[in-house]
Amino acid sequence: MTARDAEDRVTREVVRIPQHFPARRAWWACFAVALLLLGLFFVSVAVLFGYGPGIWGNNIPVGWGFPIANYVWWVGIGHAGTLISAMLLLMGQQWRNSLNRFAEAMTLFAVICAGLYPILHLGRPWRFYWMAPYFNTMNVWPQFRSPLTWDFFAVLTYLIVSALFWFIGIMPDLASARDRAEKRRWRIFFGLGAMGWRGSAKHWHRWQQSYRLTAAIAVPLVVSVHSEIALLFAAGPIPGWASTVFPPYFVIGAAFSGFAMVSMLAVWLRAMLGLKDLVTPKHLDMLGRLMLAAGLMTLYGYLADAFTAAYEGKRELETLMDRLSGPYAWSYWSAVLLNFVPLQLMWWRGMRQHPLVLFLVGLSVAIGMWLERYMLLVTGLYRDWLESSVGYFHPTFWDWSLFAGTLGVFFTAFLLFIRFLPVISAFEIKEELEKGHNG
Amino acid sequence: MAERHEPYAVLAEFDSSARLIEAARRIRAQGFANIDAFTPFPVEGLADAIGFRSRSVPVATLLGGVAGGVFGFLMQVATNLDYPLWVGGRPLVAVPAFLLIAFELLVLGAVLAGIGTMFVANRLPRLNHPLFDADDFRFESDDRFFLAIFADEHFDRNEAGKALAVLEPKAIIDVPGRPVR
Amino acid sequence: MSDGEQPGDRAPPATGRQFWRSLDELIDEPAFQARLARRFPAIARHAGDWRRRDILKCLGGAVALAGLDGCERAPDEEALPFVEAPEGHVPGIARSYATAFEYEGIAQPLIGKTREGRPIKLEGNPQHPASRGATDAITQAALLGLYDPDRSAAPRRLGAPADWALFDTELAALRERLDSTQGSGFRLLTGSTRSPTLLRQIGALLERWPRARWHAWSPVADGAGSGLPARQTRRLHLGEAHATVAFDADPLGPGPLQTWHATGWGQRRRAYQAGDGAAQLLVAEPTPTLTGIIAGERLIARADRMEPLLRALARALGVSGGGSAPRLSPAEQAFVAQAAKALDEQRGHGLVLVAEHHAPELQALARQIDAALGNLGRTSELAAQRGGPTAASLAELARDMAARQVETLFVLEANPLYAAPPALQFNRLFARVKQRIHAGLHVDETGAASHWHLPLAHALESWSDGEAADGSILLAQPLVRPWMNVRSRHELLSGLLGDPTPDRALVRATWALDGPQWAAALVQGWVDAPPPAQSAASASPEERPVLRTSSASATGLSLLVRPDPSIWDGSFASNPWLQETPKPLTKITWGNAVHISPALAEERGLANGDLVRLEAGGHSVTGPVWIVPGQERDTVLVHLGHGRSAGSRVAEGVGFSATPLLGLSPDADVRLTRMEGRDEVVTTQAHFRMEPDEFVRFVETAADPLPPEEPRPSFYPPQESKPAWGMAIDLDLCIGCNACVVACVAENNVPMVGKKQVAKGREMHWLRVDRYHSGSPDDPEHAFQPVPCMHCENAPCEMGCPVNAAVHSPDGLNLQVYNRCIGTRTCSAYCPYKVRRFNWFDYTGGDPPELKAQRNPDVTVRQRGVMEKCTYCIQRISDARIAAKKEDRPIADGEVVTACQAACPTQAIVFGDVSEADTQVSRKKATGRDYDLLAEANTRPRTTYQARIRKGERPA
Repeated sequence: MTARDAEDRVTREVVRIPQHFPARRAWWACFAVALLLLGLFFVSVAVLFGYGPGIWGNNIPVGWGFPIANYVWWVGIGHAGTLISAMLLLMGQQWRNSLNRFAEAMTLFAVICAGLYPILHLGRPWRFYWMAPYFNTMNVWPQFRSPLTWDFFAVLTYLIVSALFWFIGIMPDLASARDRAEKRRWRIFFGLGAMGWRGSAKHWHRWQQSYRLTAAIAVPLVVSVHSEIALLFAAGPIPGWASTVFPPYFVIGAAFSGFAMVSMLAVWLRAMLGLKDLVTPKHLDMLGRLMLAAGLMTLYGYLADAFTAAYEGKRELETLMDRLSGPYAWSYWSAVLLNFVPLQLMWWRGMRQHPLVLFLVGLSVAIGMWLERYMLLVTGLYRDWLESSVGYFHPTFWDWSLFAGTLGVFFTAFLLFIRFLPVISAFEIKEELEKGHNG
Repeated sequence: MAERHEPYAVLAEFDSSARLIEAARRIRAQGFANIDAFTPFPVEGLADAIGFRSRSVPVATLLGGVAGGVFGFLMQVATNLDYPLWVGGRPLVAVPAFLLIAFELLVLGAVLAGIGTMFVANRLPRLNHPLFDADDFRFESDDRFFLAIFADEHFDRNEAGKALAVLEPKAIIDVPGRPVR
Repeated sequence: MSDGEQPGDRAPPATGRQFWRSLDELIDEPAFQARLARRFPAIARHAGDWRRRDILKCLGGAVALAGLDGCERAPDEEALPFVEAPEGHVPGIARSYATAFEYEGIAQPLIGKTREGRPIKLEGNPQHPASRGATDAITQAALLGLYDPDRSAAPRRLGAPADWALFDTELAALRERLDSTQGSGFRLLTGSTRSPTLLRQIGALLERWPRARWHAWSPVADGAGSGLPARQTRRLHLGEAHATVAFDADPLGPGPLQTWHATGWGQRRRAYQAGDGAAQLLVAEPTPTLTGIIAGERLIARADRMEPLLRALARALGVSGGGSAPRLSPAEQAFVAQAAKALDEQRGHGLVLVAEHHAPELQALARQIDAALGNLGRTSELAAQRGGPTAASLAELARDMAARQVETLFVLEANPLYAAPPALQFNRLFARVKQRIHAGLHVDETGAASHWHLPLAHALESWSDGEAADGSILLAQPLVRPWMNVRSRHELLSGLLGDPTPDRALVRATWALDGPQWAAALVQGWVDAPPPAQSAASASPEERPVLRTSSASATGLSLLVRPDPSIWDGSFASNPWLQETPKPLTKITWGNAVHISPALAEERGLANGDLVRLEAGGHSVTGPVWIVPGQERDTVLVHLGHGRSAGSRVAEGVGFSATPLLGLSPDADVRLTRMEGRDEVVTTQAHFRMEPDEFVRFVETAADPLPPEEPRPSFYPPQESKPAWGMAIDLDLCIGCNACVVACVAENNVPMVGKKQVAKGREMHWLRVDRYHSGSPDDPEHAFQPVPCMHCENAPCEMGCPVNAAVHSPDGLNLQVYNRCIGTRTCSAYCPYKVRRFNWFDYTGGDPPELKAQRNPDVTVRQRGVMEKCTYCIQRISDARIAAKKEDRPIADGEVVTACQAACPTQAIVFGDVSEADTQVSRKKATGRDYDLLAEANTRPRTTYQARIRKGERPA
């Protein structure tokens, strides 16, 4: 086939999806499940607001429980999208073009889920805006030395930036969808989104400048955001938290879990929407490699953390030992198991390119990384300094239901996205094909 | 014709980006200044070919970033001085702690300024444009590249048409402007 | 004129009902409505609706704010305030009245603090030797008993609500019958009260009806029901005792004498710390007690080893009566040797104690030793008997009931159907009595089974008197008028005798004092009555063993039945403050357990919470086990007071009742069999081992200081402020009695959360007493450590708070701004001491109006979702600051007294300005024993601790 046909097919494959959706049945099935979970989310939140955070397993000493662990997990998921999209763009990795669009969407929705948690987690959620500096009669301001305030700004910035990045990325494809639309309502829908894009060379020029600059800024942003989330722990005087390796350790772990999520989504979309020509084995292969690389770095993070603990000794060491053999050792070891054992399959190309294997490895890593966050949080708090304040944490039904609920929030949004918007960046693929054609 | 249109521009359609660039160069060489090109995806070197160069976005990004960062830091200093509180035995102006939020606001400022400028300079969003009225000017296509000569005071339809015809485009399209009575 | 003639005094008992009516009308007055809304928005909502009675209950005390005539503002028109003149009431200014609270026959001297007519806090009477301002946990919680929503509000006849008028008519009939028969068939059963007025009334009753009889009984002092021991056979002066040897005795343990004894001990120990004499404590005991834990020498010995040990001691000191040389283990020999040495060195300042439940011979022998060493009359004296009628025993009552000689049984402040020893089969016999009348605070087991239940006025809302631990006579003034349809015990008896008189008049009549004397007595809180003549040292008052330890049992197990440290014999079971107070040694709340030794647990393969059946003498109880390190191998201990089946929602269904094990014969053999299943035992502390840490530090003698530590580096300068508040907690004085914990709860409106929440780790106590032990679990070293907020200078919590809710005050307090708190809980996560408490639910909103009326108006009631913690009683600090500002002077040292500090009987807690060198607190911190808890966290705490001193000998 010539590049021309290829390009043409690309556009059709991508742009036709909203209007002639290939997998209506499958989509509705998934969407039903997602809506169910979304309902669970609203129920959980209603109960939470009705009765208070006491419905969870939290206590003193374990004042933070699921909400914070889930928050860290979700933000982590989000980071992969930005990294794939921005970092690979700057590195000129063309193969990214098949993945970045939905990876960015994943980021956006994951960050939204993450952002919900710190608010729901509050004792008085209706006062969450007190974290923001605004003029008020009492003249009280946020406490800018607190890691929570840092997080507030970090997550807010991250949400805005990733939303804009995703939007200006999808704008040209919305334009082509607009011009291809048969039905008027689609034309209006896409037309509004496209904001009158018409492919002028001048527009493209400025567009490319801002797109690349945003990408360039997004990469350090990701690092800063998750470093600050790591500081949420590392800034406290809690044995097992007060560790200088936390920021890099968290950032890389975040990317790890994110790549796992992207791999799962890629395999899923590929199967559901039949994007075999766009998400090729090569892409799966690349994702597998990314996961492997990030995984090995995370493993190094584990070792580095253990080393610093052993090096510091006394309480840090006690906490480490407690993690390895204490009442919550199960969370530590299953985290290690799920994160690093199936991962080793990724050494073989055959395995990387096998969609099912990739999916399962991704799943195992996603769960493993969640367990890691749970482990870090609970083992830090349930036994910190005084032996007398030891207290165990047992999650309740509402802990789990809220987590499941946010999965509902995520997948509802994500399914709507793949249903109504171009899931793959058509114009960037065309650009590459054209280059290949000329070159 | 019931009503006549002031012409808005003349379009020439080409079937590859390479030919478009070539054509753009030649048209400029002939002294047509007010020209633009339309492509389904960003084409390397096209901006040069039509003699377009803009630094507004990078500059705006830089300024936005600086402004955001400075504002971020000063805000924290100001609020702490405005309502001095004794917190954790730490100094009122705790520079290391303040740098993180300063950085976040730097990023935010840079991105907002950059993307904002892109939209403003591109005169976007714009829901209607004469080009959209042009016969089968559609953006969705993969193999259609347009070169446009816009109408200005000393615009001569035939001259422009000839100049374009020389380039052997697939088609030459008139773009009508606002109808006049 | 005598008060008897005053109007109101002669008022018939129906006064109560008029009181109702007047309030009813009052409620509907718009003016009152407005006032109400202003003062009690929460309650105003209900005013005038069907919940009127609740409101009345809640507001009865607050009649003052209802704007009735001036006299109503005072709790009782005749009560005289402790500090201020009665005339003119200033809203918002607290007024204090000297009063007393009696339990187990001992009255505690108190100062009751009232606001707008509502009692809000009890403090010890600082001028009374038996208190010195201190109280015990049970007395502190008595305040809540007054407001108990489950208190019986009106008479009940055959279980149905009735009114006093009907009872009075029935009483009249009874009176006629008794007059005709000289009272045959009438029996009065009381608890172990010693109120002179009550005794006088009983005397009058017996005089009028010679054939009636009075029975006195208490499950704690008289488990077998064989008769109360002659009251307080020995009065101890621990302040004088430089060397105390206790055999299974727990003078510092919970109970009505705790404050008296602990005050003395604290006095002695502080003197020793200052280098004056010794403060030695040698204890031989089967299970750890508060006394044993702070003892320099603690010998673990079965209850039945006390006799040989004591005899050996007698021999060692060459006291006759030692008998033949008993065979002792090396450890026992060592202990006896040390005890003998200590007592010998401290002749005249020694004290030998044997628990009351041991055989009379042993008591006698102990006294002989003291006599021989010249201790008698200095470290202890034989308490004299005041006159008055002598009571018969519960056993005798049961016997007569069996013989159908009891027609009318009047039970006053006793609950035999719950607590009578099973041997007496009281429940069966009780049903036979033709006329059963019960008077008490609750419709308890006995009340439910009686024909008549009569609601009794709480001690804090009625006039009475009582005998303090030191033998002096206390006057109890009401802090508030009864707001329910109740009568005091004195009114009841006078009513029974057909001459209904208000209790005030009755009490006054007991004490022949003229007006000024009476006024003076009321103000100071006690009567300077001539002490009764000393009975000769030879005369040994009769003693009966109680709470018998069954020792020589075939299985080799020895059973101890003790009153519960929190809810005593169950009479305080309806008090959530006490139910939720962690028991000093086990930290168990809301229930009891079968305490066993680690060795026994290992042998039987039992773990904490496993259900066991404990059998003795054909009776058995079933409950969860709890392993108590330091308990004698074969000793099993259970606490009384739980497993109530009636009385109040709080009391019912908590724990199991140990009553069946009461009054067993000595040779009953004890069996422990494992049952299927487990029962949740809820504690506030999960881990007790201290190693490898040193949270509680020790020095050997008062002389040697802790090893010096090099100052820890910090980027930040230490905080300078004037004043700079700080606290010193002397672990050498702390006996872990929990008085501070309950005092804190009462002062700071700390909510109680119930068993489930405590099980989840959500108890709200601002001040907790941690307990640790180190060394072998069979004989570990025990330690207590009260932990309030440390008010760190470099507070991690403040760093964590994103909204400036946790900040520092200019006078160095670590503040928690409830209004600003959004509940991120970061402060708690960052707090190394985990002293912060979070309102996981709305713990206070649903409280009944009574409880809302009890709250301290100076302390915010926290809303759902905010963090709270110890404030160093900031409300008391600002009171002092305001007072000082008015007089334009600095706050004096000791002017601010925190609630915990005030309650502490040993003065282990000292609070004050650490920026001045010569304040008490600074001097405490200057002793070489001062250390920071978790110094390695480098938080610069303002609360510091003084290391415990292992020994107590006089420095050589």
